[in-house]
Amino acid sequence: MEVTKVLVPVNGERVDEEVIKLACTIARRRKGKVYVVYVIQVKRALPLDAEIESETQKGEKILKRAERIAGELDYQVETELLQAREVGPALVDEAVERGVDLILMGINYKKRFGEFNLGSTVPYVLKNAPCRVLLWREPIE
Amino acid sequence: MNVVIMGCGRVGAQLAALLDEDGHKVAILDMEPYSFRRLPANFQGTALVGDGTDEDSLKRAGIEEADAFVAVTQGDNRNVMAAQIAKHIFNVPKVVCRIYDPLREEMYHTLGLETISPTTVGARLLRDVIVG
Amino acid sequence: MYIIVVGGGKVGYYLSKTLLSEGHEVLILEKDAKKCEAITEELGSVIVRGDGCEARTLADAGTERADMLIAVTNEDEDNLVACQVAKYKFKVPRTIARINNPKNERIFKKLGIDVTVSSTNLILEHIEEEVPTHPLVHLLTLKGGSLEIVEVKIPQNSSVAGKRMKEIDLPPGSVICLMIGKWGAQVPSGDTILEAEAQVIAVTRPEAEEALRAALTGS
Repeated sequence: MEVTKVLVPVNGERVDEEVIKLACTIARRRKGKVYVVYVIQVKRALPLDAEIESETQKGEKILKRAERIAGELDYQVETELLQAREVGPALVDEAVERGVDLILMGINYKKRFGEFNLGSTVPYVLKNAPCRVLLWREPIE
Repeated sequence: MNVVIMGCGRVGAQLAALLDEDGHKVAILDMEPYSFRRLPANFQGTALVGDGTDEDSLKRAGIEEADAFVAVTQGDNRNVMAAQIAKHIFNVPKVVCRIYDPLREEMYHTLGLETISPTTVGARLLRDVIVG
Repeated sequence: MYIIVVGGGKVGYYLSKTLLSEGHEVLILEKDAKKCEAITEELGSVIVRGDGCEARTLADAGTERADMLIAVTNEDEDNLVACQVAKYKFKVPRTIARINNPKNERIFKKLGIDVTVSSTNLILEHIEEEVPTHPLVHLLTLKGGSLEIVEVKIPQNSSVAGKRMKEIDLPPGSVICLMIGKWGAQVPSGDTILEAEAQVIAVTRPEAEEALRAALTGS
C-alpha cells in the first residue's frame, strides 16, 4: 500500500490507541506522516469560532495522549485541534487540505435503540472522502 | 350563538353536532367534502367546502357575525393562523384553537390565544388512569 | 449576520447559497431527509433536519443569537408560525415570510411579521408596469403595510383633469405628493391644476386604492 500521509481522527476512546499505532506502522514503511485530529463540535447556539474552554482542554488532553502512544512506537505524529459544526465534513476537508492518502478511523460497536448504529460521521466520510478510508471496528464486548 | 368551526374531522364533526343539538347556529368548513360524512344526518347547520385560512371562505361561513370560532384541523399551523385571523382581523369574541405540539401551545397561549393541546390533556388523563 | 432559513426547497437553497457567498452565517431547517442530504453535499454543514416551526428545533438552531429568520416553505401558515415563534419566543430582530396567497400580506403584517414577499404580487406588479393601459401601479408598500405609494396616470378624458387639487375629492388617508406633467415634476399645492396625462405619485391606504384610482381617472 502506497501510503505517505495518514489522517487519524480521535475522540478519546480506547480504540484511539489501536488506530494510532496502526497508522504509525503503516506510515513508517515509507517514512510517511501521521496527522491526528480531534474535532470539537460546536452547537448552533454558539458561533463557530466560540472559545469553549472545557472542550479545548479535553481535546488537548486527548491529543497529548495520542503523541504519547505514538512515542511508545518511537514515531512522531502531528496533532491538530479543529472546531466545526459537524465532524464528517470537517474530516473530509482536512483530508483534502493535507492531501492525505488514507483516513484511518476507529469505532466501537455501538447500539442505538437496540440496533447496531454507525452514527453519521463514518458514513459521511466513506461517501465523501476522496482518498482511501480504512475502518477499524472494535470487537463486540 | 353563531359558531364557525374549521375542520370536520372527528372532533370538529362531533362538536358541530353537539352545538347544533343545543340549538346554536353552526357553520363548519373543510377543504375535503368527503369529511362532511361525519356529520349526523339531522345536522341543521351549514357545511361549506373551503379553506379556513382564507378570508373569503371565512366570510362565506359567516365569520363576521360569529360569536365563536374553533380551529380543529390536523395542522397546528393552520389552526394557529386561522385562529389569529378570526381574532385579529374579524374580532370574533371567542376563539379557541387546537395545537398538538405542547411547546407551540405554550407560546401561543402567552400570545393571547385560547388553546387546547390534546397531547398534554391526553397524556395526563392516561397517566391518571394508570397511576390511579 | 446569522440568518436562519426555514425550508430547503428551491427558494431556500438558492437564497442560502447567495447569502453564504456574501459571507453570512446561514443555517437551513428542513424536514425532509433527502433534501437535507442533497444540500449538505452542495453547501456543506449548513442544514439541520427538523421542523422550523417547533420551538425546540429553533432553540437547538441557536435562534436566540440569530439576526434574521426567513421562512420560505410552500405553506403560508408554516411560514407565519416559524416567523412568529422566532419573533416572540426567541426575539429575533427581523423576520421575513414568503407568502403564496397575496391576501395574506396584510394579515401577516398585522400578526407581526416584519416583511412579506409574495411572488404572486411581484409578478402582478410587473404585469401592471408592462401593461400601459393599467392606470395604477404599486411602487412601494410602507412598513407595517398600512400605507402604500402608487403611481397613477391621469387619462386624457379624466373628469378631474384641469381641476385644482383642492377641488378633487380624494378618499380619506390619500395624498398626492408629486405630479409629473408636461413642465416636469412638482410638489402640488391646493391650487395646482391636475394636468391630463400627467403621472401622479400618491400615498394611500391599501383599502382605499380602488377609490383613489376611481377618483383620479374619473371612472
